[in-house]
Amino acid sequence: MPHRLEIALKPDLSDAEGEGLRQKARNYFGIELSGVRTVHILTIDADLTAEQLSIVQNDIFTNPVTQISSFDPLPIAFDWCIRIGYRPGVKDNAGDTAVEAIEDTLGIRLKDRETVYTSKRYCLQGSHPEFGRDRAAFEKKVEKIANELLANDIIQQWQVYPSSEWDPEVGVGFIIPKVILDHQPSVLTVSADSDAALQKVSDERNLALNPNDIPAIRAYFANNEVRRQRASVGLSDPTDVELEYISQARSDHCNHNTFQGRFFYHDSANAQVQIIDDLFKTCIRIPTLKLKEQKSWVVSVLWDNAGAGRFDDNHYYVITGETHNSPSNMEAYGGAITGIVGVYRDPLGTGKGAKLVMGGYGYCVGPRDYRGPLKPHLHPRRLLDGVIEGVRDGGNKSGIPTTFGQVLFDDAYIGKSLVFVTAVGIMPAKVADSPAEKKRTSPGDLVIMCGGRVGKDGIHGVTASSESFSADTPAGHVQIGDPYTQKKMHDFLLEARDEGLIQFITDNGGGGLSSSVGESALFSDGCSIQLEKVPLKYQGMDQWEIWVSESQERMTVAIKPEHWERFHKLSEKHAVESTVIGQYTDTGKLHITYKGKTCTYIDLDFLSAGFPQWEFEAQWRTPADRGLHEPVIIPPENYNKLLPDMLARPNICSKEWIVRQYDHEVQGTSVIKPLVGAQCDMNNDAVVIRPVLDSDIGLAYAQALLPWYSAIDAWHMASCTIDEAVRRLLAVGADWDQIGGVDNFCWPAIQYDPVANPDGKFKAAQLVRACLGLKETCLAYKIPLLSGKDSMYVDGHLAGRYDEIHKVSAMETLQFSCTGVVQNIAQCVTMDSKIIGDRVYVLGMTRNELGGSEYYAHFGYVGMNVPKVYPDKFRRVYKAVHQAIRQELVASVHGVYRGGLGIHLAMVAMGGGLGMKIDMNKVAADQVHRDDIILFSETPGRFIITVAPEKSEAFETLFMDMPCACIGVITGKADHFIINGADGYPIADIPVSELRYAWKRPLGTLV
Amino acid sequence: MSKRVNALVLTGFGLNCDNETAYALQLAGAEVQRMHTNALINGEVHLKDFKLLVLGGGFSWGDDHGGGVIQAVRLKTNLGSRILDFIANGNLVLGICNGFQTLVNLGLLPGLNDDYQTRSVALTFNDCGNFRNDWVSLTVNQQSPCVFTHNMQQLELPIRHGEGKFVADEHVIKRLIDNHQVVIRYARENGEPANGHFPSNPNGSLYDIAGLCDPTGHIFGLMPHPEAFNHFTNHPDWTRLKEKLNRQGRRMNTGDTLGVRLFKNGVDYILKGH
Repeated sequence: MPHRLEIALKPDLSDAEGEGLRQKARNYFGIELSGVRTVHILTIDADLTAEQLSIVQNDIFTNPVTQISSFDPLPIAFDWCIRIGYRPGVKDNAGDTAVEAIEDTLGIRLKDRETVYTSKRYCLQGSHPEFGRDRAAFEKKVEKIANELLANDIIQQWQVYPSSEWDPEVGVGFIIPKVILDHQPSVLTVSADSDAALQKVSDERNLALNPNDIPAIRAYFANNEVRRQRASVGLSDPTDVELEYISQARSDHCNHNTFQGRFFYHDSANAQVQIIDDLFKTCIRIPTLKLKEQKSWVVSVLWDNAGAGRFDDNHYYVITGETHNSPSNMEAYGGAITGIVGVYRDPLGTGKGAKLVMGGYGYCVGPRDYRGPLKPHLHPRRLLDGVIEGVRDGGNKSGIPTTFGQVLFDDAYIGKSLVFVTAVGIMPAKVADSPAEKKRTSPGDLVIMCGGRVGKDGIHGVTASSESFSADTPAGHVQIGDPYTQKKMHDFLLEARDEGLIQFITDNGGGGLSSSVGESALFSDGCSIQLEKVPLKYQGMDQWEIWVSESQERMTVAIKPEHWERFHKLSEKHAVESTVIGQYTDTGKLHITYKGKTCTYIDLDFLSAGFPQWEFEAQWRTPADRGLHEPVIIPPENYNKLLPDMLARPNICSKEWIVRQYDHEVQGTSVIKPLVGAQCDMNNDAVVIRPVLDSDIGLAYAQALLPWYSAIDAWHMASCTIDEAVRRLLAVGADWDQIGGVDNFCWPAIQYDPVANPDGKFKAAQLVRACLGLKETCLAYKIPLLSGKDSMYVDGHLAGRYDEIHKVSAMETLQFSCTGVVQNIAQCVTMDSKIIGDRVYVLGMTRNELGGSEYYAHFGYVGMNVPKVYPDKFRRVYKAVHQAIRQELVASVHGVYRGGLGIHLAMVAMGGGLGMKIDMNKVAADQVHRDDIILFSETPGRFIITVAPEKSEAFETLFMDMPCACIGVITGKADHFIINGADGYPIADIPVSELRYAWKRPLGTLV
Repeated sequence: MSKRVNALVLTGFGLNCDNETAYALQLAGAEVQRMHTNALINGEVHLKDFKLLVLGGGFSWGDDHGGGVIQAVRLKTNLGSRILDFIANGNLVLGICNGFQTLVNLGLLPGLNDDYQTRSVALTFNDCGNFRNDWVSLTVNQQSPCVFTHNMQQLELPIRHGEGKFVADEHVIKRLIDNHQVVIRYARENGEPANGHFPSNPNGSLYDIAGLCDPTGHIFGLMPHPEAFNHFTNHPDWTRLKEKLNRQGRRMNTGDTLGVRLFKNGVDYILKGH
C-alpha cells in the first residue's frame, strides 16, 4: 500500500520557492498572487510498518526546526492548488536518493518494483477577492501558471484544484507514475526486399536512414558470404537490433556525414566550380595535424572523446565542447542538465580518464520579451530560465566550476535555441607508468557498463537531433541528467584509473551502448555482448531498446579479467553499479546475444566502408549580389543618450544573475573569475584556473560567438569569432604559443530542396566559407583544433497567428572556445581600470567595419562592411601584448568586442569605478573620421590597455611601428566618462554611475 | 621529530570540495587523508586515528531532501556513537557548507546543554530564492571559544550555497549569542554586521549568522568556504590590490591566506596539545 508524506516549511518561515513563483506569475503574466506555499510530496510505494514510517517521517524527511509533515494532506490554506508530478519513466533523482536514505536508515532493501516518487503541490492565494471563488475567471490563469511556469507536459503531469473541490481527507490522492510495460521482449526480423521497403521500415521505426545509405545496407545483407555466416548463428534478414545499430552509427550526429560530405562550391565571382571533398578533412583535420607537427604541446587530437594538450611536464589538460539543442528546446531544464552532465563524461572518457576541472556555457535564445505571433514550444524567457537552471544544477552538483559563459538573444533562435556546453579536464601524463592519453581494447578484455541503469529514456536521441524539430519528433528522447550518480561514478573511475585498472574508457552518450561498445570494439576488432546482463530500470524493454537507449550517467570500460575483483570492490565502495556485459574479441564481428540467442552479427568494418558520401550544392552570392549596402545615417548628436541605450541592449547588458547562480569557485582553483572589478560585477575577457593546486601555472579559457556577421559573410563570421576568442585569452596573460581551439558549429539544414529548403545551396556555401575562414585563421594563428562538434539542422517549424507553419532557421553560428597556458598566474591581469592617472591606450587600427554591428542592429540595419581579420598585422600586436603582460607593464587589458570601442571603454571605466577622459582624434583609425564609426565599429584585432605613467615609455617601445595610441587618461572616482569628438569638442559627458545603471537596468534585478 | 596532526576529509556520495580542503589542511601543516565515507563505515580507517574531522562542501546525496539531511542520517545510523566518542575525546570537527548543514542535522551543533544529538537550529533555503556564489565580508566574534578563528577579526571568503539561511527559535539564538557560539556574522565591507541586507547577508540568515561553534569551541560549522581561499589569487580583487601595492613599491603578501590561517588555527591548537 502506498504512503504519501507531505512536507512543508513551518508557516512562520518564508517560502523562497513559493515567493519566486509569486514574482514570476506577476512579472511574466501579470497575475497577482498574495502568497504561495510549497508542499513537497513523497509517495512511498512500498510496504512499510507504522514504526518504519514514523522513522522515515521524523528521522529522515522532516526537519523539526523548519518543517512540518504529515501522511495526511497538510492543512495549508489556498484558493487554488497546483500539483506537479513526473510522468512514468522520467528520471526522478530525488525519488532515487529517498530510496537510498530509507534503505540505509531502516537497514532494509525495498522489494523489486517498490520505490519512492517525488512530486509537489503549490498552494496559491490570490490578491483578488474572487480569486478562489470565481472559477470561470481564474481557472485559465491558474492553468497558465501550471503549464507555462511549473510543468512541462513532456515530462510532467499537473492538476489544478480550486479550494471548493479539495477534499482535505483525500488531498491529491495517490498518483503512482510507475512504468508498466506489459511486454515480452522480442527481436524482429525485418525483410526488406526493395529499397522502398527498407525506406518504409526506416520511416515507420523512425530510423532516419539516409536514402543514399539504403542500397548499401541492403547489399550487405544480400551478400552470399554474409548470409552464410549469419546462417551459422541462426540469422537471416537483418534484425531490428541490427538496423537500429546501423541507424545510430550512420546518423549525422555520430558520423558527421555533412561535414564529411562532398561540396560543389560555386563562387559568384567566377564560373569555376570548386570541389571540396570532405570539409572536416580539408579544414580541420589536415590543418590540425600540420600544427601538431609544429607544436610539441599538442598531445592527442581528432580521435578521442576530447583533445589533450600539455599543461606541464606531469599533466595534460583535455577539452571538448558539445551542443544539446533539440532536447533543450523541448524540455529546457532536462535538456540543459543532461547536456552539461553529458559533456562532463567526455573528458572522463578521454585517454584513461581525466578529472573534470571546469565547464563553460553558451546560450543563443529568442528575445526574453518576445511578443511576436510565432509559438515556440517554450517561450524564450521560460526556455532560458530552464536552461540556466539545468546547467546550474548539473554543474554545481558535479562539483565542477562553471566559469565562463555567454548569452545571446536574437529572433533567429526562436525556432531552435542553441545550448553550448564545454568541459575541461586534467589528467596525469602517466597512469601506472603508461601514457595516460593512450587506450585500447584487447581481445579477452571484459566489457563493463558502469553507472546508471538502462530505461526507455533517450531512445532515438541521436537520430532526432539529426532532423529538424517538428511536432512529431518523439518526446521519448527527453531526459533529466543525474549529476549525483555521475559524481559518484567520476570519483570511482578516477580511483580505478590511478590503480591502473582501466584499459579503455568511453562514455555512453548519443547512441548508448550501440555507439560506445561499437566504437571501442574497433580497437580489438570485435566483441560479444550478452544483452540480458545489462541492468535495466524496469523489465519489458525490447533488445533493440536496450542496445540504443541513451539513459544517462553511464560509461563503458574495458578491463583485464584478472582486475575484475578489485574493480568491482572499488565500485561497491563508491556505491556505483558496474556490470560485465560481454568480452572484447578479435573476430571482426559485433556479436550480440540475448539469453543465448544471437540478435546481431555484423562485420565491424561494414560501417566504415561502402557507404556513399553525402553531396551538397553550394552557391555563394556576394553581399553586393544580395543587395546589401551600408545604411545612410547622419551621425548622432546625443551620445549622452546613445551610449546608455547601447549599454542596455540585451546583448550588451549585465547578466550577473546567471554567473552568480553558477558555482565558479569550487575546487579552490579560481585565479581570474568571470566577474571582476572594484564591485566584482564586470565580465572579464577570459577566466583563469589553477587546476594543479600546488603549481603556479594557470589555464586560461574563453569563448566567442559572433553569428550576426553571418548575415553578410560566414567566412568573416568565423575568422572574427576566432580572433575574439584569441584576444580574450591574450588579455588575461595566456601564452600566445600554446593556444588550443574548439569549434562548435550550429548550422541550419544545407541540403537544397526547392520547397522545403530553397536557400539550402546558399547555406551550404556559407558553411564552406566558414570552414575556409576557420582553416585560414587557425593556420595563421597556429591554433590546433583540439576538439569540435557540429550540430546541423538548427531549424524550427513554428505555428503563427493563423495556425500556418513557418520554418525559422537559426543564424549560421560558430562558437569558438580557446584554452591557453599561463606560465605564472601572479602575472594575470583583468579588464578593469585600476589607478587614477593611468594612461588609456588603444592597440590596433580602427576601420569602417560596422556591418552586422550592434550599432547597426540598434537601428535595425545590417550593412555590408563586415569586420575582417588581418592575421599578419594582428599577430605582431598580439605577441607584443603578451610581452607587455609578462613584463608587468600593464594595469588592465581588455579587448574591443561586440559594440565597439565606445562600449568597451565604458566597461573599463565601470570596472574600476573610475572616470575616463578620451580623445577620439587620437584613435588610430584607417580613413575614418566620424565619431560614431570610431566608437561603434567592431573592427577586430584591438585592445584597450591602461598603463601607469611611469611605465608608458617602456610600453610604447614594445609597440613601436604598430598602431598604438594613447587616447586618454583614467580620472577620479566621482568623475565622468568624457569623450572628446574628432573635432576636439566633448560629444559625451556621463557619470560612470549612470553608465553602470543603464548597463544593469534591463536584467540587473534578477537573482 | 615534530608532532603530526592527522586530519580526515570525507569524500564520496556527492561531496566535492575534498581536494582543496585537503590541500588547505596540508598548507596548514596537517597530515591529511581523503577517505570515502564508506571506508570509515566499513572500518578501512578509524576515527580514533585522527584529531581533526572535516565534513566539507558538496551536494551529499544530491541534497534533494535538504542540504546535508541524508548525509546526517547516514552518519548517525552508521557512525553515530563513534562520532560522539570522537568529540568527547576533545577532537576537532569542522563542517564547511554542506558539512555545516550536516552538523546541524546531526545535532552536533549547537551542542547546547551538552546535547550533541538534537536538532535545534537549521540552515534552510536562501531568501533570494537561488543558489548564490559571491564573496562576503565576515566579522569574527573575538570572545568566541572557537579554536579555528583565534586572533581573527575579519574575514573575506566565498559563499556558494542555496540553503544557507540560518534559522532557530529566538530563545536558542539568544543563548547562542550569550554563549559566544555565534563565531562569524555576515558583514558590510566596513565590518559592521549586515543587518539582514542582501547581498552582504546573502541568504537572509537570522542575526547574520554565517558560522557557529559548540560551547567547547571544538566543533565549528560555517557556510563560507575557507578552503577556496587557499592562494592569494583566489581573492576576487587581487589584481587591483597587486597594482595598488606595486605603485607604493610594495609587493603582494603571497604567504598564508586568511582561509589557510583558519585551518592552521585548528592544527596549531592540536599541536599545542590541548
